[in-house]
Amino acid sequence: MLRFALRRILMAVPTLLIMAVSVFVLIRLIPGDPASLMLGDLADAASLADLRQRLGLDQSLLIQFGIWFGNVLQGDLGNSITSSQPVLPLVLDRFWISARIVLIAVLIASVLAVPAGMIAAWRQNSTLDLALVGSATVLLSIPTFWLGLLLLLLFGLKLEWLPVVGYVSFSENPTAALLYIIMPVMTLFLHEMGVLIRMARASTLEVLRLDYITHARAKGLSESAVLWCHAFKNAFGPTWTLIGLVLGNLLGGIAVVETVFTIPGLGRLLVDSIFARDYPVIQGCLLFVAFVYVVVNLLVDLLYPVFDPRVTAE
Amino acid sequence: MNKSIAVALGAALLTAGPAFAQTVTVALNADIRSTNPGVNRDDNTDAVVLHMVEGLVGYRENGTVAPLLAESVQLSADGKTYTFRLRKGVKFHNGAELTAEDVLWSWNRYMEPKTDWRCRTDFDGRSGLKVEKIEAPDSQTVVMTLDRPTALFLDSMARTDCGMTAILHKSSVKEEGSWDKPVGTGPFKFGEWRRGEYVTLTRFDEYRSPPGDKPDGLVGAKRTALPEVKFLVVPDASTVKAALVSGAVDVAQVLDSDLAELAKAKNVEVGLFPSATKHTFLFQTRDPLLGNVKLRQAIAAAIDVPQLVAAVSNGNGKPNNSAVALTSAYYGDAQRKGYSYDPAKAQQLLKEAGYKGEPIKIIANKRVHVPSFNAAVIAQAMMQAVGINAEIEVLEWATQLDRYNKGNYQMMSFSYSARLDPALSYEQFAGPKDKQPRKVWDEAEAEALIDKASTISDQTERQKIFDELHKRQMEMTPLVIFANGQEAWGHTKRVQGAEPWEGKPRVWGARVATN
Repeated sequence: MLRFALRRILMAVPTLLIMAVSVFVLIRLIPGDPASLMLGDLADAASLADLRQRLGLDQSLLIQFGIWFGNVLQGDLGNSITSSQPVLPLVLDRFWISARIVLIAVLIASVLAVPAGMIAAWRQNSTLDLALVGSATVLLSIPTFWLGLLLLLLFGLKLEWLPVVGYVSFSENPTAALLYIIMPVMTLFLHEMGVLIRMARASTLEVLRLDYITHARAKGLSESAVLWCHAFKNAFGPTWTLIGLVLGNLLGGIAVVETVFTIPGLGRLLVDSIFARDYPVIQGCLLFVAFVYVVVNLLVDLLYPVFDPRVTAE
Repeated sequence: MNKSIAVALGAALLTAGPAFAQTVTVALNADIRSTNPGVNRDDNTDAVVLHMVEGLVGYRENGTVAPLLAESVQLSADGKTYTFRLRKGVKFHNGAELTAEDVLWSWNRYMEPKTDWRCRTDFDGRSGLKVEKIEAPDSQTVVMTLDRPTALFLDSMARTDCGMTAILHKSSVKEEGSWDKPVGTGPFKFGEWRRGEYVTLTRFDEYRSPPGDKPDGLVGAKRTALPEVKFLVVPDASTVKAALVSGAVDVAQVLDSDLAELAKAKNVEVGLFPSATKHTFLFQTRDPLLGNVKLRQAIAAAIDVPQLVAAVSNGNGKPNNSAVALTSAYYGDAQRKGYSYDPAKAQQLLKEAGYKGEPIKIIANKRVHVPSFNAAVIAQAMMQAVGINAEIEVLEWATQLDRYNKGNYQMMSFSYSARLDPALSYEQFAGPKDKQPRKVWDEAEAEALIDKASTISDQTERQKIFDELHKRQMEMTPLVIFANGQEAWGHTKRVQGAEPWEGKPRVWGARVATN
């Protein structure tokens, strides 16, 4: 187990290395210059040259990469071009905000979607199955920004239950913080439920066709015992893997939801940085997201044997 | 059940949110970049910072410059020495009194390369003008000596992107010289900045307002009744709309297209506010095709400017083909003479230009609050109607700005930020392309006229020059300016008098209506 974990962590090193190089190169391939964006439409040549020099953008790409990568190896992701803040604390701060929302949303989505998917499979082709699959497809098809706006309209404007804009951190006031994240969490979990219901249903359907389920039924076990004690463990594996992928995906893709609900999270930081061509922050964010992706999937793999002992970590 | 949830949530909110009914919340579409005037800035940054700091002079509503921290400004007979008498009793936010020493300290800090003041090149000789000497003969007087007479010295100092060349107290920077926070003389003091979330400012009770009975641009009466203002970052336009209707935000720039709907909301009032922003189509005069003035004139004749402006502004905008803004004291009869829509003339000009249907690409972007893309679509249709093979290429803003700075385009739907003095406005697009590829109008005669307008101060003489420049610009058509900015803003009925100026929120004139 330990050796497996170590090997996987070591395998992540080249992934992150390739990521670092490609992010560095790709972002510079996009036209646009942070210095000219900072100076706006009236950048006179002298001011632009001054600023480029101060930001180190006048150096060759190779030198810029060398300096940045050298610092990364020492745990320093550099400073933001636009705000001068150190990137690592900035990314970590924003990450916790996003992570909290994503984790709660995925947890709720999993708790609701897995049983729903299994029940749909168990009652395949019934009205219940159709209703569940239909809702899942609808949820999956609604773009998150639109769903977010609909929720905002309903709970913020019509019912006036929840605050429309702003954000309060948990350390400041946990109750209020909860109010501010209800809608973003709801938007994400409704969307992800669509994905997970379909997966849970499909994998349960496969398992229910197997002989050992027929055997369990032949032994006279109750349907619920068949479903939860026998089918669940084997059917949950693929969904569990998908949950890991969803977690990683959401961390990078939460920007839209954060923009609608004015949440100062990692996704918005990344998008704002791309618009501003804030290279160190973009590189820092993407490297960090890649790292989290690797770690989350490693944890998923390590926990897999708990649900399916046939799969060993070795 | 529902009621109880609502009550519980409401109670929790009361303990959580900004509970002061007197706090006015203003929406910003992006976070500010810093609190350092004229250094790391954009429009949002200027808007917030200019509530806290002030310069010796500032802009009036009509684009002329008036004393602000100065009581009077005297110009020597040779036009090279400016003597500023400071207003008495002006205090910094830390209680210290404003003296000439503070002006000297602030100026010297701006002229230090490590400060990175964006306007340093406008005063150190690299863009022409050089401040040779600054002295303080007594604690209330500052004398600045220039290397040449210029009409633009005070304008440049008042520029909002220069942070109004704000006079700051020494304690604005830390001991080692790095920026800390603005300790200025403005009507509001710096409160708290939560990056990515909000900036709060609190009223400066010892503020000494310049004379006047109402706000006038960035001068005039600036006393404030508000104890606190919160600039809240709300990036999404739909969320801004919802926040305004719900009362979570009091003042916000809104989309033109939302005006009618917001006007119907029971607690919201809306308005349109002009700015000196210039919405234009730029031509690359070095392009093999568009180098031909006849082709450029043909395009200008093919575009029905009033119709285009009406379409891109939901019927609210006013056409203006001049670099002199509609709000400017210099906007007169000569500037009213714009392009006339004449498809037959356009076709004739195309023939004379020898145009054979070669494609002409218009670059545009889809930023909110600028009509770039919509204007390009309408221009394309109008150009196609006379037989011009117009195409549109949509780029993201940073990419378009890069192409603009390199002069790498044929035609571009582009908006210039506001420059209030006409000479500065012309200077935005006229100049030598070899030195600055972003320049659009490269013509020695035009440059000479702009230089002259930058030197002389007499308003009548300057007016003549601007009239002549407008005529030349119409003839040469290096660009088609079609309108100035006309921004839609909304505010809740509880907040009155928070009228924006030049596209920036301005809340010192605001008051909260009591029910």
